[in-house]
Amino acid sequence: MSKNKKIRKSKWLVNTVLAIICLIWTIPTLGLLVSSFRPAADILSTGWWNILPHRDWQTSEQLQLPKETDLREPIKVNGATYTDDQLRAGVEVNGERLIWENRRARLLNVQDKHWTIISSFTTQNYETVLGGKSYSITMPDGTTKTEKGSGMSRSFWNTIAVTVPATVIPIFIASFAAYAFAWLRFPGRKTLFVIVIALLVVPLQVALIPILRDYTSLGLNGTYFGIWLAHTAFGLPLITYFMYTSISQLPKDLFESAFMDGATNFTIFSKLILPLSVPALASISIFQFLWVWNDYLVSLIFLGSQPEVQVLSMNIANMVGSRGNDWHLLTAAAFVSMLMPLAVFFALQKYFVRGMLGGSIKG
Amino acid sequence: MYAKNTKKALTAFILLIVLAMAITACGGKNNVNNGANTPTEKPDATADDGNTDTNGGDSALAQAMNGDFKGKKVTMFGPFTDADEVKFTESIKAFEEKTGIDIAYEGSKEFEATISVRVNGGNAPDIADFPQPGLLKGFVEAGKVVDVKSFLNDDYLKKQYNQSWLDMATMKGSSGDVMAGVWARSSVKSLVWYNKKAFADAGYTVPKTWAELMTLTDQIAKDGDPAWSIGIESGTATGWPATDWMEDIMLRTTTPENYDKWLTGELPFTDPIVKNAAEKMAEIWFNEDYVYGGRKSIATTSFGDAVKPLFDNPPKAWLHRQAGFITSFFPEGLTADDYDWFPLPAIDEQYGQPALISGDIYAMFNDRPEVRAVLEFFTTGESLKTWIQTGGVTAPMNDADASWYPNDQERRMAEFIKTADTIRFDGSDLMPGSVGAGTFWKGMTDWVSGTVDLDTALKEIQAGYKK
Repeated sequence: MSKNKKIRKSKWLVNTVLAIICLIWTIPTLGLLVSSFRPAADILSTGWWNILPHRDWQTSEQLQLPKETDLREPIKVNGATYTDDQLRAGVEVNGERLIWENRRARLLNVQDKHWTIISSFTTQNYETVLGGKSYSITMPDGTTKTEKGSGMSRSFWNTIAVTVPATVIPIFIASFAAYAFAWLRFPGRKTLFVIVIALLVVPLQVALIPILRDYTSLGLNGTYFGIWLAHTAFGLPLITYFMYTSISQLPKDLFESAFMDGATNFTIFSKLILPLSVPALASISIFQFLWVWNDYLVSLIFLGSQPEVQVLSMNIANMVGSRGNDWHLLTAAAFVSMLMPLAVFFALQKYFVRGMLGGSIKG
Repeated sequence: MYAKNTKKALTAFILLIVLAMAITACGGKNNVNNGANTPTEKPDATADDGNTDTNGGDSALAQAMNGDFKGKKVTMFGPFTDADEVKFTESIKAFEEKTGIDIAYEGSKEFEATISVRVNGGNAPDIADFPQPGLLKGFVEAGKVVDVKSFLNDDYLKKQYNQSWLDMATMKGSSGDVMAGVWARSSVKSLVWYNKKAFADAGYTVPKTWAELMTLTDQIAKDGDPAWSIGIESGTATGWPATDWMEDIMLRTTTPENYDKWLTGELPFTDPIVKNAAEKMAEIWFNEDYVYGGRKSIATTSFGDAVKPLFDNPPKAWLHRQAGFITSFFPEGLTADDYDWFPLPAIDEQYGQPALISGDIYAMFNDRPEVRAVLEFFTTGESLKTWIQTGGVTAPMNDADASWYPNDQERRMAEFIKTADTIRFDGSDLMPGSVGAGTFWKGMTDWVSGTVDLDTALKEIQAGYKK
């Protein structure tokens, strides 16, 4: 009994700690979400946490000091004297605060604390991000016309066109390779595998210019095929290694008996390996999908930002304008671009939980 | 049976993927062929053009206007995106319609990093827009850039641009000096912005000399407000507005020759001349009564937000020194009646009224007749007309008409460049990247935020030349 209680207690502790960590992790995202619904001017003046009820100073009355008050001397207010610095920062007297409203006009605010909540929200950021900004252009004949910029929808589909094949192709190839490395005996297997593992440490940046040269001579620049190939190549070492660890853990007996029954390698792969490694496939798909979806550098170099092929990450970066004057759109854009990875994660998440490996090999 | 079906399905799937790849690959190949064919055809055409050029004097632009290059594509790569990109596209639309040339502009926030990769990877755009001539210099030295003078003659260029612009475009190439590009849009930097209505209501007048400016600053402080609003935060580029201030003050406290020496590194940052300029700047920057939020807020205020306190009601600050582009950061709903600017006054009368400017230079990487035509088009004011009318850009070309500017403020900027006694380009854009976009920004930020003293900061900046 007491042992049970102990276990329950430690479980309770673990859960609490986990809950706290989760909370800390979600706070920045929550702040971003709140900010994405606030007007830009508000974001500049108050923090997002002010949407929670809090006590804030509110002006109850105003005091007009004589115009000729010298600010560099101690300033007399209602019999007490304060320095200018105090009045700038706000000075508290009996629960009331004195602070300049307008130093130039020598106008003082007398404030006291009230419970307040900020409730001005807008969907303008999302409307601009999704529908595109509008620019007013003066034409040569002097008339003004409004030009509508493109929203995120086009680059959203472009990103899907890049991401889905760039996730499927490497995983497809890597699973075959992993099976071969794990279960087939062929000369040079170990050497080849070491080479693949060694490729893990090569930073992709060093490959950019050589590959770009090849692409230029092959005409692959700015094509979807080129970027699929690039993502496939950059992703293969890790995915092969990941799939190898999962496939090599499968019990040997399983394949031996399958061989006895006359199964070919291909049958073993498609009938045994693939179903058994669905959890591994699902998790590496999530990794690769997220990597490609969030990628900026590879697309920047091999795909470019022509509107026909521009991906989301580039579209969002350009959205803030040449000098970053539209920074407030980033919050909304980030959430829009986050939708798809979230959907993929939740769709594939059940495969982790199900853990197909559990029953299949014990029997 | 079941196994067979799955096998079939799998084989079909593989076939499908292979097929899809083959199709896309073919598509790619077609592109290659197109791409490869055009350049091979081109050199002959170029040679012919060269002949007609010398014989008949028919310029590439005139040929383009005749429709000779219909259906050709010219790729362009540059740093401006979003609103600027739309203004640019609108400005060239008429040209594209008339000539049938498609100018495919691609803007990237990572232009500086990407252009090197593209050029070295053999994927250079036909025309690239360099906001920092210092960056272009490297490509010119490597012989990657087409000399503009190879197809535009001196007389024409002199007609379109003032000599100082042409001098700034001349750079050292692999074999002798080349005209590295043409200036397409410029921005005046030595401007002090103020809230026109509030300024008049408070009874202030525009200062003509540095002494008057300091008197005004002090007067505003006495009246109860900090005069200046300053912010130098700009992400990874934090510190650049401070370098602009330094350059502006350098131009006003020493000779233009010293300024030029300073850019090449001949005059080190540790020299008393530079230190004197920094101290002049500190008179305003480090006076807690003169700066909105005090010295500590300078390094943490974004340069774009720094102008906003001027337009609060009542204004929280009164003066803001920034280039002409800052109008795009003004609070929404402001009209040209609400704001105005005056040039940052001369400090030492003997150096006259200098103007600090910056600009974008368009350089050409691939020599094809239609690219020549497009570049020649960019030497005309016409190529900027819509942009000028919409606002936010000053034309460096002589044939841009003053009546195109949307308001008096912008028109006066164009005049200011023409009448200034000395014109110098933004120094940090001309210094080597390790200084101009490196230690200069960082050193100024460290000094302003109070992390290091002035001497250490100047040494730190100078160390960038050794990198």
